[in-house]
Amino acid sequence: MATKASRTAARAMMSPSVILLLGWMLIPLALTLYFSFLRYNLLMPGGNPFVGLENYEYFFTDPAFQTAVVNTLLLVGGVLVVTVVGGILLALLLDQAMWGQGIVRILVIAPFFVMPTVSALVWKNMFMNPVNGLFAYLAQSVGLEPFDFLAHAPLASIIGIVSWQWLPFATLILLTALQSLDSEQLEAAEMDGAGPFARFRFMVLPHMARAITVVILIETIFLLSIFAEILVTTNGGPGNASTNLTYLIYAQSLLQFDVGLGSAGGVFAIILANIVAIFLMRMIGRNLDA
Amino acid sequence: MNKTIKTLLGATMLVATGTGAYAADTTLTIATVNNGDMIRMQGLTEDFTKANPGIALEWVTLEENVLRQRVTQDVATKGGQFDIMTIGTYEVPIWGKQGWLVSLNDLPKSYDVDDLLPAIRGGLTVDGELYAAPFYGESSMVMYRKDLMEKAGMEMPEAPSWHAIRRAAALMTDKDEGIYGICLRGKAGWGENMAFLTATANSFGARWFDEDWNPQFDSPEWKEALTFYIDMMNAYGPPGASSNGFNENLALFQQGKCGMWIDATVAASFVTNPDDSTVADKVGFALAPDNGLGKRGNWLWAWSLAIPAGTDDEDAAKKFVAWATSKDYLALVAENEGWANVPPGTRTSLYENEEYAKVPFAKMTLDSINSADPTAPTVDPVPYTGVQFVAIPEFQGIATAVGQQFSAALAGTTDVDTALANAQSLATREMKRGGYLK
Amino acid sequence: MARAISTHRKALNTAIAWLIAAMIFFPILWTVLTSFKTEAQAIADPPLFFGFDWTLENYTTVQDRSNYFRHFWNSVVISVGSTLLGLALAVPAAWSMAFVPSKHTKNILMWMLSTKMLPPVGVLVPIYLIFRDWGLLDTQIGLVIVLTLINLPIIVWMLYTYFKEIPGEILEAARMDGASLKSEVLYVLLPMAVPGIASTMLLNIILAWNEAFWTLNLTAAKAAPLTAFIASYSSPEGLFYAKLSAASTMAIAPILIMGWFSQKQLVRGLTFGAVK
Repeated sequence: MATKASRTAARAMMSPSVILLLGWMLIPLALTLYFSFLRYNLLMPGGNPFVGLENYEYFFTDPAFQTAVVNTLLLVGGVLVVTVVGGILLALLLDQAMWGQGIVRILVIAPFFVMPTVSALVWKNMFMNPVNGLFAYLAQSVGLEPFDFLAHAPLASIIGIVSWQWLPFATLILLTALQSLDSEQLEAAEMDGAGPFARFRFMVLPHMARAITVVILIETIFLLSIFAEILVTTNGGPGNASTNLTYLIYAQSLLQFDVGLGSAGGVFAIILANIVAIFLMRMIGRNLDA
Repeated sequence: MNKTIKTLLGATMLVATGTGAYAADTTLTIATVNNGDMIRMQGLTEDFTKANPGIALEWVTLEENVLRQRVTQDVATKGGQFDIMTIGTYEVPIWGKQGWLVSLNDLPKSYDVDDLLPAIRGGLTVDGELYAAPFYGESSMVMYRKDLMEKAGMEMPEAPSWHAIRRAAALMTDKDEGIYGICLRGKAGWGENMAFLTATANSFGARWFDEDWNPQFDSPEWKEALTFYIDMMNAYGPPGASSNGFNENLALFQQGKCGMWIDATVAASFVTNPDDSTVADKVGFALAPDNGLGKRGNWLWAWSLAIPAGTDDEDAAKKFVAWATSKDYLALVAENEGWANVPPGTRTSLYENEEYAKVPFAKMTLDSINSADPTAPTVDPVPYTGVQFVAIPEFQGIATAVGQQFSAALAGTTDVDTALANAQSLATREMKRGGYLK
Repeated sequence: MARAISTHRKALNTAIAWLIAAMIFFPILWTVLTSFKTEAQAIADPPLFFGFDWTLENYTTVQDRSNYFRHFWNSVVISVGSTLLGLALAVPAAWSMAFVPSKHTKNILMWMLSTKMLPPVGVLVPIYLIFRDWGLLDTQIGLVIVLTLINLPIIVWMLYTYFKEIPGEILEAARMDGASLKSEVLYVLLPMAVPGIASTMLLNIILAWNEAFWTLNLTAAKAAPLTAFIASYSSPEGLFYAKLSAASTMAIAPILIMGWFSQKQLVRGLTFGAVK
């Protein structure tokens, strides 16, 4: 029932945010697009001549390119699986009656507050280090060879570290959703002889669907550009085993200072992000029709 | 309790100096790397600020990789965030040629520029202009545990061969005791594993490029060098070697987990410092190994202070650079921290000093530095200068990517032949892109 | 409502939950413990849990080397500043989206979120050049602007989902009573929206505090927050676990404590409209 006046007012209220974000997106995007057609290396100042699609050719034929795309998807997917499944289990557990629930929640939520750089440094040095790390000590104390996580399972290790950071977030949102479930319905179902698994499958899970969608959406936004954790732990290695797109673009534009090549990569990453965004939008449209 | 009070006092003092900074006429922002010698310098700056009350200092201390990226980005875009930058012998000639640095030829006479070690000074000079002042210089050498050598019944020659090193590593290794015969860099990076491997390859007769800039990773010499390194590390190295850089290896050696470690000469003062090192009194030194081909596997590097062109406070910056790299600064450190902690490898006069001669690693450091020749680093002729690097802008990118390949080979996720083939195609690709190859 | 649960069952729940919570929290606990050890104790084999001489030495060393309080203050200014600026922009936008929706609202919202997926490394050089020309490098205001922009989509979306839960009839009623747009917002909407706004604010402060790419790359000395402070301890020479732990503890403690004290408010609005 919005009147014309309130529509105008609404537009006026929305415009500062929209205009600023548009500027924030378009100005760098335009520059990135422009740079991507230039031979532009910070270390070699010169005329920055126009080179057409040369940067794209080099970017797409980069031996690390395919691995990087696959790793990006594996990283996002891996963390999503771990945090959503782990989050559901934890939420179910925390929803049970217990003593000291408040403290348990405080402990579980804590990793979310830790800076990504700090958590990567701590995991790398104090836990995963094969000589001085705690995991190495544990392995040795049961008579096993210490496992060199970052050399032999680099991507899985990074997925582990990132999941640790995001598990609290997933748990909290899923727990809130779970707590809003009508317990009388559950009890009625129990009376009717539905087992715990059936109740979970047919009542709890559908109820949490929206919350799961939200977790996936928000986490994807952040996980697509995971960078600090890789830089600190493996530098994308060994080889390209843990290089994702963001890290590849970093290596090109800030290690080789090849701004042209990095920009071509940036344009590709932007396109990929938009594909993912459209995909998510569809999913949201179905599931989150608020 | 005492410590708490000290912390609080320190805090108030810092707040005080913070406000004091506004009273000064100029503020110099200094970007530096978080190495021990630089951190020591930060602690000693009162000597400078007292003598120059108009100048306040702001420190930006960063880890090496982050530092390098930040300063390169800033100098290349003329961002002007730093007045003094800590850079190395790789950057100085390239940046100097671009006109990005202020020439230091007009430092006062008391600075005694002729006292700088010729090898180091040469690396920081472009067309007769000194573009950076060396803060400390380093080569690489063998550091080994005398007690473990003795136990193994061996004696370390002053100039060992690679063969001798390998035999010693085999005899010293005792994995049940957590002792690994040899610790070497494996972490990917042009300044990490590639510094070591490039210098090592030189002693095996390998080179990065032939005289027409064709990459040489398909040569038998590279294969021999890389195979030797990986076989030795797999048999006698610590677990996780593919993520060990200088700092990780230093920590391992200080804990007594390494029999030998071939790395930067500056490490000598850390491994012999009883405060940090559990093996301080058991360390011996030897020249970097060779293969009888006339080149040893040691590099040459100098962390240096340079002033980016376009800084607002050129004169104040020069004053600071001259202070931090002067003879007086060396004496100041000696007085406060002892001769062993003086930043090494920059001045002839330091090595003529009788007090300094008593430091156990002084002579070996000087010999190592003098035996490195950046103008003729390899057995076969090459078109480039630089021992453990190739002084062209493309090198950072190529060597980092190649370093990833070699790191993967060490981790065992790829084999030597594949790693070398990948390195060859990577390097060829980039050299084509750079216009060196048709 | 109250289902009878046996004490036995409750004890089992408690045990499992505590065990898992302790495992999740352990890395943080271990970091804090290590920060009070000497460097040699930090790598002792077997690891020391409590039986060591507690020392503040690492904190003294870290404070001697870096001006913690300045970094801390920069972090506070940047995270709170960008959050307030973001809220000032986002509250009106979210309000209009929630109460005067058009057929484009959802698309605009999704487009806003998609701007957050752009990899920052890809646009660092252009932004660096713009900041240089506008004199924003190494300034608090520059970082406030960047962090506002990168978190704005999340703020708008979170507020939008929260505002949507507010029943429109109340507004209708207020309008019937002749309330102006201004008083409608001030007296009717805001009080109902406060929990949502508070929760958005907290989440955004956390995100801004931990942002480590822009804050590191656009600062040098004057505006560098705690993320830059950590970068000088990440891989120094020699034994560093204890000092790294002390620096880490100093960097995360303020936000961790804030998060714990405000977790009720944080959780209340952290639903993103997921709860119906």
